[in-house]
Amino acid sequence: MPGLVKASAGSAKRKRSSSDKRPSKRARSESSEEDGQAQILLLENEIFESKKNYNNVATLIKILKTDSEDADDSVIAAISLCRVFTRFIVAGDLANKKGATDQEAVVVKWLKERYTEYKNSLFDLLGEEGISATALALCMRLLKTEGENTRTQEYQFPSSFLTGIVQALVKPESDANARKEFSENFVEEYDDIRFYTFEAIKRVLEEPRSTASAHQVFDNVFEILTTIESVPESEEELEDFYIPAPKKSKHPLFTLTKHKKRAQDAWYALVTMDLSEDQRKSILKIMSTSVAPWFIKPELLMDFCTDSYNAGGSTSLAALSGLFYLIQEKNLDYPSFYQKLYGLLDSEIMHSKHRSSFFKLMDTFLSSTHLPVVLVASFVKRLSRLTLNAPPGGVVTVVPWIYNILQKHPTCTFMIHRVTRTAKGKALLESEGLADPFLMEEEDPMKTHAIDSCLWEIVMLQSHYHPNVATLAKIISEQFTKYAYNLEDFLDHTYGSMLEDELSKDVKKVPVVEYEIPKKIFSKQEEGAGMEDSLLVKLWDFN
Amino acid sequence: MPPSQLKRLKASLREQGVVGPQQSKKQRKQNAQNGVSKEKRVHKKVALEGIREQFNPFEFKLAGKAPKFEVTTNRKTSAVVRRPGVAKGLAEERLARAYEEDVQRRKKVGGIVDKRFGENDPTMAPEDKMLERFTLEKQRRHKNSSAFDLEDDLMPGELTHMGQSLSLNGPALKDDFDEKDLELSDEEDHPSDDEQTRKRRRSSAGEDEEDEEDDEERPERKKSKQEVMKELIAKSKLHKYERQTAKDDDEDLREELDLEMSDIHALLRGAVPRSQPPPPAPGPGMNPDRAAFLSGTDKGKLDKDYDLGLRQMAQDKRSQPTERTKTEDERIEEGSRKLQELEAKRQRRMEGAPESSDEEDATANDGDEEEEDFGLGSGLKARPTAAEIGIEDEDDFLIDDDLVASGSDLELSEGDSLLTEEEARRPEFLTGANGPLPEAEIPEQNGVNGDLAYTFKCPQSHEELLQITKGVSVLDLPTVVQRIRALYHPKLNSENKAKLGKFAVSLVDHISYLANQPQQPPFLILETLIRHIHSLAKTYPVEIGNTFRSHLQAFGESRSLSPTAGDLVILTAIGTVFPTSDHFHQVVTPAILTMSRYLGLKIPQTLSDYSTGAYICTLCLQYQRISKRYVPEVMNFIENTLCVLAPTKLARLPGSFPYHEPKASVRITGTSKSTRRLTIYDCEEQELSGDDQTSLKAALLEINLSLLGAAADTWVDKSSFTEVFTPASKILQHLSSKTCRPTLSPITQNHLTKLTQKLTILLKNAHMTRRPLELHHHRPLAIKTAIPKFEESYNPDKKHYDADKERVDAAKLRKEFKREKKGAMRELRKDAAVVARESLREKRERDAAYEKKYKRLVAEIQGEEGHEAKAYEREKEWRKKGKK
Repeated sequence: MPGLVKASAGSAKRKRSSSDKRPSKRARSESSEEDGQAQILLLENEIFESKKNYNNVATLIKILKTDSEDADDSVIAAISLCRVFTRFIVAGDLANKKGATDQEAVVVKWLKERYTEYKNSLFDLLGEEGISATALALCMRLLKTEGENTRTQEYQFPSSFLTGIVQALVKPESDANARKEFSENFVEEYDDIRFYTFEAIKRVLEEPRSTASAHQVFDNVFEILTTIESVPESEEELEDFYIPAPKKSKHPLFTLTKHKKRAQDAWYALVTMDLSEDQRKSILKIMSTSVAPWFIKPELLMDFCTDSYNAGGSTSLAALSGLFYLIQEKNLDYPSFYQKLYGLLDSEIMHSKHRSSFFKLMDTFLSSTHLPVVLVASFVKRLSRLTLNAPPGGVVTVVPWIYNILQKHPTCTFMIHRVTRTAKGKALLESEGLADPFLMEEEDPMKTHAIDSCLWEIVMLQSHYHPNVATLAKIISEQFTKYAYNLEDFLDHTYGSMLEDELSKDVKKVPVVEYEIPKKIFSKQEEGAGMEDSLLVKLWDFN
Repeated sequence: MPPSQLKRLKASLREQGVVGPQQSKKQRKQNAQNGVSKEKRVHKKVALEGIREQFNPFEFKLAGKAPKFEVTTNRKTSAVVRRPGVAKGLAEERLARAYEEDVQRRKKVGGIVDKRFGENDPTMAPEDKMLERFTLEKQRRHKNSSAFDLEDDLMPGELTHMGQSLSLNGPALKDDFDEKDLELSDEEDHPSDDEQTRKRRRSSAGEDEEDEEDDEERPERKKSKQEVMKELIAKSKLHKYERQTAKDDDEDLREELDLEMSDIHALLRGAVPRSQPPPPAPGPGMNPDRAAFLSGTDKGKLDKDYDLGLRQMAQDKRSQPTERTKTEDERIEEGSRKLQELEAKRQRRMEGAPESSDEEDATANDGDEEEEDFGLGSGLKARPTAAEIGIEDEDDFLIDDDLVASGSDLELSEGDSLLTEEEARRPEFLTGANGPLPEAEIPEQNGVNGDLAYTFKCPQSHEELLQITKGVSVLDLPTVVQRIRALYHPKLNSENKAKLGKFAVSLVDHISYLANQPQQPPFLILETLIRHIHSLAKTYPVEIGNTFRSHLQAFGESRSLSPTAGDLVILTAIGTVFPTSDHFHQVVTPAILTMSRYLGLKIPQTLSDYSTGAYICTLCLQYQRISKRYVPEVMNFIENTLCVLAPTKLARLPGSFPYHEPKASVRITGTSKSTRRLTIYDCEEQELSGDDQTSLKAALLEINLSLLGAAADTWVDKSSFTEVFTPASKILQHLSSKTCRPTLSPITQNHLTKLTQKLTILLKNAHMTRRPLELHHHRPLAIKTAIPKFEESYNPDKKHYDADKERVDAAKLRKEFKREKKGAMRELRKDAAVVARESLREKRERDAAYEKKYKRLVAEIQGEEGHEAKAYEREKEWRKKGKK
């Protein structure tokens, strides 16, 4: 509304007439507490009327700052101040004009100071629940106005202002709603805001702070960053701008690499923070989907990933997918990767809740037919060893996988079929028995001698208590007629799902009843009955 | 090289006799006289024609390929030689004629078109024409006649009376004409209108003479087809009618006999159940039954009686030879045979083989039958039999006769016990007089207080059961159940079966309820109840199975990791009532899954958790006592418990079981003075004093060692015994090490030593017996063969074979369309050509006529002019001359 500003006197009148109406209306509908608001509006109007009343700005800021019980007042004050400053900015009152007198320069300086003060108090409001949404809206409005009007010729984004906003939003005590609103409606929507938010985040993260607050800040920043889902793929996609875009087509806002660079810096700043294990895991979880695509130099993530992978436990499991992304897409060479992977196969893995995702990845890693058979055999043997202590869900995952591997590496089938041909060997077996040549403790999968062993464990599981598991385990000893099993079908079984499956079926056939009614259940057999006590009676006291 | 054209012409001419050696004058004369030469000339003409055709290479068209032999193709071989020139000429002629007709009709409106057959065909003889017209007429009628067309006298379903047609113009009148004295005046006896008109037309055409001739011939003539058919129909109808009357007679006779049936019945049975009132007095001289039948009042009753009698006869029991009383030996033998059968069935189920159909029938059948099937009790192999047989009649389950007998005259029609045969024959079924129960607990007298009621309502739900047993001592419960079962025995009333089924369900609810009570009822009562449930389960397997399943479901959904004593009792009951060795069982499989879920997911924190786990482990092992299936969770739990209970921590955990250190340490810290065994109520959360805790820990350790031993016994034959039990043996070594041993009681130490020795021996054995796996001694897989698929409609003549029918059809259609289009275009072109040619010809004709006329006129004028000119010239000449 530049036209409106130029005819300042006339417009002010018009404005007054309209704003005069409002308080009267309100006064009718609402009670006397509206006086304060009316007062604020009056002050605002006075500012517009004459430069003499500029001191009212200070009064308004004071109202805004006073932590009165009437929160409405400060909101109204903030809104009217927003109007006032918008007008100032548009009119250019906040800029040093050429050939201005000293007095005018003093006024401008003073106004600038008030403006900064106003902004700071707005940042404070961002942390307060309830008002934060309004405060954010005001901030963004001012940001827009500032961006549109303060530029002289060149495009200039009010990045310091944005930094202020971001800083206020990531503060530990900041309001979650405002943050959510900011990240969803502005950062995700507008390319320029995203661009400068990345910059601001980087700047904010570089500030030194205590560990306790750092964790909170991490969570807040992480929240903002994770809402940005769509990584732009080409420069044509960069077209949503909050503040009218620069005319120069070579501006960094138009180049994808610059965008990525900013994002990379922000993420990198986040990743290099001192992280707790949970934070690490949460980053690792979205590593391949949200983080890595931003990186121009994914090598920067390698350290993070390998560190996490080396950490062991579930962190390594989480790091696996990120690492896989780097290996697959960015050609990362991870020395002794398979040894590490082999090391992950411990007693926990079968009981872990990451079991299915781990198996998915492991299947991918071991899908190459070019892997040494010795290594593959080690994996097979170790997993089958682990199934001896695994829940049925784990067994169900491992057995089809082993089948697939055996199909892929026919040499491994020695593990299920090894005929002793020499008479000497047979004699040796007779006289000395056989010890499992597999070395469970060996950490290097190339040296476990698994290929010389047999999968007795799977044979034992053929008599698993769960009928379906037992039947599944029998595929190993049947002819390999199927090309491969689809592992997806077997990944997500748990006790709960299996039980649900059993109990949800209707009883169609008559259940068979034990024909013999036992004489004793809880008590000992009679003397001389010739029956042995059941295990229960032997071990437990039922008297 | 073939001979030249000229030579061939000469040869063929000679062959046909067109040219030949010259004849003498005499001969020629003779021939001319005989007419031979004339004949010859005709022949010559024909021959020449043939030769001309033969030598014109454009008059004939031979097929492109040589015709196939008829056997190889099912297509008709087309004519070998075609004459395109002739065909073309004909076609053109036809077209020209059509055009002419068209032109003639052009610009003409209206008019009558004679559509009579052959009207415009001059080549047809009038007789042929008539014959054709007649056939056409017949055909048209035949086509149009529908089944409901009443006018059509050939209709098969015409109205009849007494087997004769009712139609007025049909064969009904034939009778009159059949009389010999009347001569038929016409060719057909009843000509239809059309035929009459035709006849009229014919007569008007002046062919009366012929008709008269025909008339004379008529009597000797063969009957027409129509006549024959009509006769045939009439005859068959007559036969049908005769049959009908015969049948009616038979029916009457049979009805008479039926009426006497009841008398015969009475005679047969020897008794005279004269239930029906005497029939009303019959008319004189008439069979009373028949009179009743005729009057029709008694008919319904009669039928009913008859049906009743029939049913009774059907249900009459044939006399059967009674079974010889078997000697004891025979009975034992039979029993053991049955047992073996049952064992074999169990074995089959254990291997997961599908049940054979007859077995399924047996299970689907009524419960009674099944009980017969399960005839003799069990344990013959294991038990001395004489004792069992000796005490047969002392079954406590046979209630005193007066208990039920009072007031019930339905009682004991079979002269046997109220209970099922099986139960009667099973002395061990319930606690007998010589049972181990102390007299005080289940008194022989009437209840604990001596005032137990004799009759109860049959409880239909658990609430009702609670209501009934409210005032009854827990100890009397078995008696109550027993009395209810006797009172509502299925044989007493047909409704009792359903009632008892519901009662069985409520009993299942009750055992878990009882176990959950704080006063902790004696286990003997639970035991008896479970046995009652077991016995009821034989009759109500589905109901009881479903109840157990719903218990499991509730357990799994609401408290899967904190079972109550009731849940444990339910799991125990499942283990005894149902065969746990089955590969799959609707109740047992979910039960063991529930248990392993507890063992696998529960992270034990308190001693009671460990007790619960130990109880469930015991149950798991007991479930697997026959089938010996591996339960990984049991090993995990035992090993974990041992590690946790061990006085000192293991430096390095052996094996790969998941280890959970509880928050509050449960390590054994001191030797307990008292030795005790665990009870089911240790599984409940409770506060324990230090001493109690110590003794509980000791008991836990003890029980886990025993469980480990039992597990080793169970799975000793498994292929991975070494892998499973090596970690356990390492834990045992740790327990017997110096750091732990002193803290354990001497009994435990002793136990530990024995167990360690046992495991060492078993492991050694396993090592000795282990062999490399040889799983794939399969027959090599044959290459898959497929029966060749024959295509029914395959045609080798076709160039392109396509299996896709739709595509074939589409292609066919496309081709047909193209062909039709081409043909139509050609037709049109030909038409156009004909039109053009004809019009050109006409134009030429017109032009020629015009030219002619013009020329004529010009000539006329010129002639006249010439004449005039000459006259003028002459005149001029004359004048000149005159002038001169």
